[in-house]
Amino acid sequence: MYSENTELFPQASPGGGKSTIAGRKAKRALWTELISGVTGLLLSGFIFGHLILESLSVFGAEAYQTVADFMEKTLPLAQISAVVIPLLFLIHFIYAGRKIPGKLYERKRMLELGHSLKKSKNRWNQKAGEYTTLRRHFETSLWIWQVRTGMLVLALGAFHFVLVIWNIFTDMGINATAGIQAGVSGPRVESGLWLLYLFLGVAIVVHMSIGLYRLAVKWLADTWFDRKIAYVVFSILFWVYLILNFLGVAGLYRVMNGGLL
Amino acid sequence: MARTLTFKIFRYNPYAADSTPFLQEYKVEETQRMNLFAALNYIRDELDPTLMFDFVCRAGICGSCGMLINGRPTLACRTLTGDLPEVIELLPLPYFKMLGDLSVDTGIWFRQMEENVESWIHTQKEFDPAAEEERMNNELANKIYESERCIECGCCIAGCATANVNPDFVGAAGLYRVGRFMMDPRDERNEEQWFELISTDEGVFGCIGMMACGDVCPKDLPLLEIMAFVRRKMSATALTK
Ligand code: HEM
Ligand code: SF4
Ligand code: SF4
Ligand code: FES
Repeated sequence: MYSENTELFPQASPGGGKSTIAGRKAKRALWTELISGVTGLLLSGFIFGHLILESLSVFGAEAYQTVADFMEKTLPLAQISAVVIPLLFLIHFIYAGRKIPGKLYERKRMLELGHSLKKSKNRWNQKAGEYTTLRRHFETSLWIWQVRTGMLVLALGAFHFVLVIWNIFTDMGINATAGIQAGVSGPRVESGLWLLYLFLGVAIVVHMSIGLYRLAVKWLADTWFDRKIAYVVFSILFWVYLILNFLGVAGLYRVMNGGLL
Repeated sequence: MARTLTFKIFRYNPYAADSTPFLQEYKVEETQRMNLFAALNYIRDELDPTLMFDFVCRAGICGSCGMLINGRPTLACRTLTGDLPEVIELLPLPYFKMLGDLSVDTGIWFRQMEENVESWIHTQKEFDPAAEEERMNNELANKIYESERCIECGCCIAGCATANVNPDFVGAAGLYRVGRFMMDPRDERNEEQWFELISTDEGVFGCIGMMACGDVCPKDLPLLEIMAFVRRKMSATALTK
């Protein structure tokens, strides 16, 4: 019998309780999963609110300014978010990103397999109800898109954080006061930032919808909120948020000219 | 209207020094309700006796005929040519040990998985061959029977991107197997032992939820459902103790 546990032989004394190496290893795996899932969920919650508020810019500068002032002055919610969200973002990146395989050939293999499964839909002509029913499968590719959009969000989001934190907490050396102002945001977006926000928004909406769908399947597939329902719910969410994102960027672009309306 | 099917079949013999992988074409006249078992046997009998592939039961029971059929891992004996277009591409299941052409050895992987999840009843009770067998209630017996429906065809492993890059991942078939022993009252493993066994990166938390396993399993086993249940059970174990 082994009395000592080592990282190399974690099963040396199975069932020895939480303090064994095997127990700790299992606990670590569980917490990693919980942390990536919960931070993903919280970030999604934040994005729900963010895109709705942002798209109010379609009503013009006054509406936009009212929202900004409300979030910054009435409630200090903007300031709190500016600290908490980048933290969640970082934690999520570290824990969720851990699932991305490290070696190039591993990623290539996943890519090929996902492609093969997705494309097979067009290479079969089975009718439903025949001998066995073929289910279409593209979720492997969806995960790959989640990784790609995650990377895009990481890069563009980091830039967005720096800009917004600078803007919320300082006068940036050029403005009258600290804080978001329609007169600054509008021209900034119009002069080219719209392109970045468009990419960032689409990437986040794609990433978030796939993530929530997979999260639901992973944890709730055997309950009433099964895979079919999750698919419908998050497809609707995807389209609604995609439209909100376009509205938000277009509204900001035209915010000094009365918005879109 | 009989079709002439074009089969593009992966050829490679890893045991022949001069063999390199390529796709070989065969033409086969389609017959009524032809399945791939019939088509492949026709090719071997009439066109090319060197073609290697496996079938045993030809009825979806033994699990030996899994292959990639037009990009999808599934059982050849249960696939009708009528469900496929005129061009049919057959590749061996990826990931498993290649024996030649369409034949792979899934047994090596399953054997290892069985050792890893310790797929046997753990009990301290002395076995008494003379004693009458203990009774099990019928509902539970049926549930256990249901969880033994996996035929070890390997489709869920070949189709799983995680299993493809992580040789230690026990996969959906492995987690399904663990579920069978968790249910069994004769198995004396306790919560902590289960936790150490499957709340790991080689167990349920290695899975990233790509859902291919559930989509390709030819026995329609509720793989995703079992894994969701196991995730919650593992979290409950960790959070309440
Ligand atoms: C720093 C940029 C980000 C990167 C690199 C990133 C990367 C990832 C990756 C690789 C996964 C898959 C993890 C897994 O399969 O276990 C994931 C999951 C997820 N992400 Fe992100 N992500 C980022 C930002 C975000 C943001 C801003 C949101 C919110 C809108 C979000 C929401 C989610 C959700 C809900 C999941 C599902 C969690 C799960 O399946 O466990 N992510 N992320
Ligand atoms: S859900 Fe995806 S990652 Fe998990 S076992 Fe199934 S195929 Fe593999
Ligand atoms: S779970 Fe399904 S796909 Fe996987 S080995 Fe068993 S029968 Fe085959
Ligand atoms: S030959 Fe037995 S499952 Fe196909």
